[in-house]
Amino acid sequence: MKIPVEMRNILYGNYFGYVCTSDRHDQPHLTPVFFVYDEHSQKIFFITNDKSKKVKNIFENPNVSITIDIRDTVNPFNNEGVMAQGTANVTEHAPIYFLSEETLQLYYDIYMEFKSKYQKVIENKPLGENDVIVQISIQKIVYWKGPHFKSVRLDNTGLG
Amino acid sequence: MDKGAKKEMKWIYEEIVGRIPPFSLVSYQYSILMQLLFLLILGLIFGFIFNLESISLFYGSLAILVAVSWSLLILQLGPTLRKFRAPLSKDENELLERYKGILFHRNHYEAIPGLAIFIQFMLYLFFYGSDLVENWLGKNPHIILLLFVSLLIWDICYRMGLGIWASVLALWRSVRLKKLAEKRTELEHTPYTELRSLQKLDINNVFFGIISLLLIPLLQSDNFLVTIIVIFMLFITLISVISAYIVSKVPWLPPDIYNLVNESSFAYIGTSLGGVTHVTPVVYVFDGQKIFFNTSKEAKKLKIMQKNNKVAFLIDKRDMSNIYENKAVLFTGEVKIYGLLDVPLRLVQMLQTLSLFIKKYPEYTRKYSTSELPKAWQLTPIIARILVEVKPIKIIYWRGAKQISVPV
Repeated sequence: MKIPVEMRNILYGNYFGYVCTSDRHDQPHLTPVFFVYDEHSQKIFFITNDKSKKVKNIFENPNVSITIDIRDTVNPFNNEGVMAQGTANVTEHAPIYFLSEETLQLYYDIYMEFKSKYQKVIENKPLGENDVIVQISIQKIVYWKGPHFKSVRLDNTGLG
Repeated sequence: MDKGAKKEMKWIYEEIVGRIPPFSLVSYQYSILMQLLFLLILGLIFGFIFNLESISLFYGSLAILVAVSWSLLILQLGPTLRKFRAPLSKDENELLERYKGILFHRNHYEAIPGLAIFIQFMLYLFFYGSDLVENWLGKNPHIILLLFVSLLIWDICYRMGLGIWASVLALWRSVRLKKLAEKRTELEHTPYTELRSLQKLDINNVFFGIISLLLIPLLQSDNFLVTIIVIFMLFITLISVISAYIVSKVPWLPPDIYNLVNESSFAYIGTSLGGVTHVTPVVYVFDGQKIFFNTSKEAKKLKIMQKNNKVAFLIDKRDMSNIYENKAVLFTGEVKIYGLLDVPLRLVQMLQTLSLFIKKYPEYTRKYSTSELPKAWQLTPIIARILVEVKPIKIIYWRGAKQISVPV
């Protein structure tokens, strides 16, 4: 199923995402991230440190959610956003010459995507030694604008 | 640094008695209880030998009960302060060290007020024609009984002195701490848990004061002494209530985070049930101590939180033009969901919070109040939207790309 256009606009048009993971004890954890969305695979990508709490949590529990929203302090009716729920996958982490061609290609593509989206902030900063790419396969998206809600379930079969 | 503050924090009397077997063989707290149990048994034996009236036994036991209760309360000072984590502010840390240093000074100043009370009371009792001794023990009591009663009086007076000593010092500490807290910069603060334990010690002192009323039956024939006890009770209770109140006003968040929480408009609330996470933006208010957000009755997150109250709560300042200025704070912990039962119990708190919401989000409140909205979104009565309080256990703070863990 295709993601409706108003949801896609949010995914494309915003810089900050808020990723929620939880550990095996169901204790949630939340961090802001820079992300890119890929329409073809219906996946959201972000780059993080492999020592971070969210990566640890994803290894314990791959279910994650991410919220991307436009917020208006004055008029709540202008608040608009999406929450995507899905499963996360952390790319294999190894010295670059041990990575598979596929992973290298992914690193390259995602890095270029990030570079064009976050040109101002990333400049020419290369990926760090401990950076890993996390990809979220979206299974469900909730969209809101003001008091109106809408949700779609995608047929990306990941872990249930 | 004063070595006295480093070693086990004890007062002189407890230290001396604690060295005599069998009291030296058990732990500090138990040894105090044992000493008092020992006195109780001794008193009963004397009562039996000297054929005392049962009212005398009652008076003696009451005095011992007061001494036991006082000991149990005041002896929590040492262990609590020993566990105290150093504040993350040099000035506040120095203050706490000074406070502990004076409280448990190696010159044992703590015995002075007790000694003063004891001497004056003994003079009053034996040289000013008081008839209290006769009330307690009957006419011409045996010298052993007099010695025993003196020992009990010492026990009581010494602890009264400790109560004055501890509560006055606590008030001084609270006032200074509040002052120093106003001068904090960046991430300086005293962790929440430690502020709460100081407050708990102050509340202990309030009970300490109230317990002194139990001495009134012993002194009832002497209006002057009854007045003294009431004044003592009021003094200790009042000082301790004020001290606890001042501590409750010391911010538990360092200024950087305090300001971020105070100035931001939105927060994100992350919840999880059976491993499936959920995250949405919320509006929130901060009263300087507590953080509240509200949610619609119909919201998915409310249903999740009712089953699992563990949450992650994030407040940030985002700026694409300068990411090094970006700041975020993450509170992980639990929530308390306010229900109907809380309306009578916490009405003032709920009304205060509601007024904070109205002040912070005037447009929201106005727009949410229109009846064109779906019911779940209307703000009108307090209960239409559910009030939720965030109770942090852990704090993570990000400034630019730096991640800092802040003790709670």
